[in-house]
Amino acid sequence: MNKTTDYYALLGIFRDAPPEEIRRAYLKAVQRLHPDRNVALGETEMFLEVQQAYEVLANPQRRAQYDLNLPREEAHDSPVSMEILYSRSNLVRMGEAQALYVLVDIASNARTGQLAAAPPLNICLALDRSTSMKEKKMDLLKAAAIQFLRRMRPEDLFSVVTFSDKPEVVIPATYQADRQKLEAPIRNIVPSGATEIYKGLKAAYDEVQRGRADGRVNHIILITDGHTYGDENACLELAAQAAEQGVGISAMGIGAEWNDSFLDQLATRTGHTSRYIARPQDIQRFLDDKFNALAHVVADETVLQYTLAEGVRLRYAFRLQPETGPLGVEGLLALGPILRDTRLSMVFELLVDPSALNGERLTLLDGKIEVSMKARTVSAPPLRVRLERPVRADAGQDAPPLPIMQALSRLTLYRMQERARAEAQSGEYEKATRSLKFLASHLSAAGEESLARTVLFEAEHLNREQTFSQEGEKKIKYATRALI
Amino acid sequence: MIRCNNCQYENPPGSIFCSECGAQVISADLTTQNIRTDQVRTAASAEAPDARTPPVYLAADAWGSIHLMDSGQILPLDKRSEYTIGRVSEGQPVMPDIDLTPYNAYANGVSRLHASIRRDGKRIVIMDLGSANGSFVNGKRLTSNSERLLGHGDVVALGKLKFQVLIR
Repeated sequence: MNKTTDYYALLGIFRDAPPEEIRRAYLKAVQRLHPDRNVALGETEMFLEVQQAYEVLANPQRRAQYDLNLPREEAHDSPVSMEILYSRSNLVRMGEAQALYVLVDIASNARTGQLAAAPPLNICLALDRSTSMKEKKMDLLKAAAIQFLRRMRPEDLFSVVTFSDKPEVVIPATYQADRQKLEAPIRNIVPSGATEIYKGLKAAYDEVQRGRADGRVNHIILITDGHTYGDENACLELAAQAAEQGVGISAMGIGAEWNDSFLDQLATRTGHTSRYIARPQDIQRFLDDKFNALAHVVADETVLQYTLAEGVRLRYAFRLQPETGPLGVEGLLALGPILRDTRLSMVFELLVDPSALNGERLTLLDGKIEVSMKARTVSAPPLRVRLERPVRADAGQDAPPLPIMQALSRLTLYRMQERARAEAQSGEYEKATRSLKFLASHLSAAGEESLARTVLFEAEHLNREQTFSQEGEKKIKYATRALI
Repeated sequence: MIRCNNCQYENPPGSIFCSECGAQVISADLTTQNIRTDQVRTAASAEAPDARTPPVYLAADAWGSIHLMDSGQILPLDKRSEYTIGRVSEGQPVMPDIDLTPYNAYANGVSRLHASIRRDGKRIVIMDLGSANGSFVNGKRLTSNSERLLGHGDVVALGKLKFQVLIR
C-alpha cells in the first residue's frame, strides 16, 4: 500500500463514513474518472486508485486494517480551513427561546504551486435585448461584453446569448481562436421585443452545459433591465438544476425596472447574488469585478448540508463576503465559491427553544460542506461543520466577539430595509415608514448622510403613495448591502 | 426577554441588536472607540496656548494646511475649496477627501465622515458632520452641522485626534 494515499480523502468522505456513503462516493468518482469518459491527464491512474480505495474500504476487515496504519488526519492536509465564532460562550437554561449568532469563516489553504494556475472558465453572458435596452444602454452593454470577451484567456470557453421574446445564440461556446471574428456578432445585436428571462436563461444554460467540466468554473451572467412575466418558477427550477450541475448564475439588473427579489432568489439558489447597476456606464466595472472573482475561484459551488437539533431554528443566514448577500435557509445552503485570497464568511442567526436544552451540551447544527477543488480532479474530504455550545444555568459576562458585533451592526441595517419592504408588501405602510425612519437615523449616526436622506425620501414616498419607488427600493437595498 | 431601550420591543435573550428598530440592545464597544470627551476638552485647551506658534510651512498654491500634531505630518489644502475629513473603512461608499486612517484615526475616535473644512472667500470655516465623538476647536465642542470660523493656529480635535490649522 502506498503510504501517502489517504483513501478517504481520495473519495472525499469522512473517516467515520458509513458503508453506504463510501459506496455513493465511489460511484460518483468512477462515473467521472472512467477511462471512457475522463479528459485530463492522469485521471485513468486516479480511476485505478479509486478502485483500490473502494476495494479496501468496502470490506470491513480490510478497512479496519487500513485504518490502523493510517496516519493521523492533519489539519494542513485540508484544502480549506474553517473558523467559528459564537456570540456567546454558552447557552443559558431558561424558559424562553434565545438567540445565538454564529460567524463562520472559511479560507483556502492555498499553497504555492498547488493552485498556481487559475482554473479555466466556462462563461456565458445572457444579455437582455428587449426594446427597453435601446440606444445608449445597449451600446454600453455591447462595449462591456466585448471588453469582457477580450479578457478571456486561451483556455477559457466563452459564449453569448441574447434574449427578448425569443432567445438567440450569438456566440456558441468557443475558445478564443479569432477574437475579432467574435466581436462582430456582439456589435450586431439589435434590441427588439419583450423580456422573457426563462428563454434566455435556458439557452445560456445549454451553452454552458456543452462545455461543462468539473475542472472549470461554469457560470452564467444574466444582465437584464426588465421584469419577466409568468416564467419565474421555471427560472427558479432551472437555477436549482444548474446548482446541482455546478453551474453558477449571477444576475445584474440595470436601472430601476427589474425585479430584484426575483433575481436575488434566482442567483441565491446557485450561491451567487444579484447586483444593481444604477447607471449603464457602470456595466463594465461590474463585469470586470465578476471576472476577477471568477478567475480566483479555488472551490466552486460549495454547499452546506445540515441538520438542526430538535427545537433549534435557523432564522437567518447571510454571506458577508466575498459576495455580500442573503443565503436561502432551506435544508441545503448554497454558499457560492471559495476564492483564493478572500475568506468566505457567513453569519447565522439561530433561535433555540427551551426544549432543546436538556443536556450539558447542545449540538445546534451538524453538517458538512462538500468542497470540490478546481485544481484537483477528485474532491477533497468534506469539511465538518458542527455548531455546539455548552448549556449552563447563567450567561457569561463577556461581550460578543468584535467581528460578530461589527458584522451584525451592518447587517442590522440591511435587515431593517428588508423588514420595511416586507411590511410594505403586507400593507402595513405605517410600520414600514417607521422602520425606514429608524433605518435613516442609524445610517445618519453611522455617517452615511446621503443614504440616510435617500431613505427618508423613500419613507415620504411610501407614506404618500403606499408603495416603494422602484428606484428607491433598489438603491436602499444594494447600498445597505454594500455597507456590510 | 431583552427590552429595547429605544422602542420597548421585546427581543429574545441573546439578541445583540433590536429586530424592531435596529438599536444595540447589549453594551459593547463598536466601530469608533467611545472616549471621554471632557478629558479631551481639558487636554485640548491646556495645550492650546503654547501651540499658538505654528511651524511656518505652506505649500505654494495652498490656501491652508493642517498640521497633525502627533505625527508632525502636514497635509495641504489646495485644489478644492472644501475638504471633508474622516477615515476610510472597507465597503463604505462615501469617501472623505482627507483620509486620516494612517494617523490612527480609528483608535482616536474619528468618524468615517467627521468634519469638513471650507474656504468661503477669505474666511475658513469648519463644520462637524454629526460625528460620534464630536469636533473641538481650541477645546470647545462644535454644534453638529453648523459652521464655525477658523483662525490661523487654531487647534482642532476630531475625537482625540488633534491637528492645527494653518491659514495663508
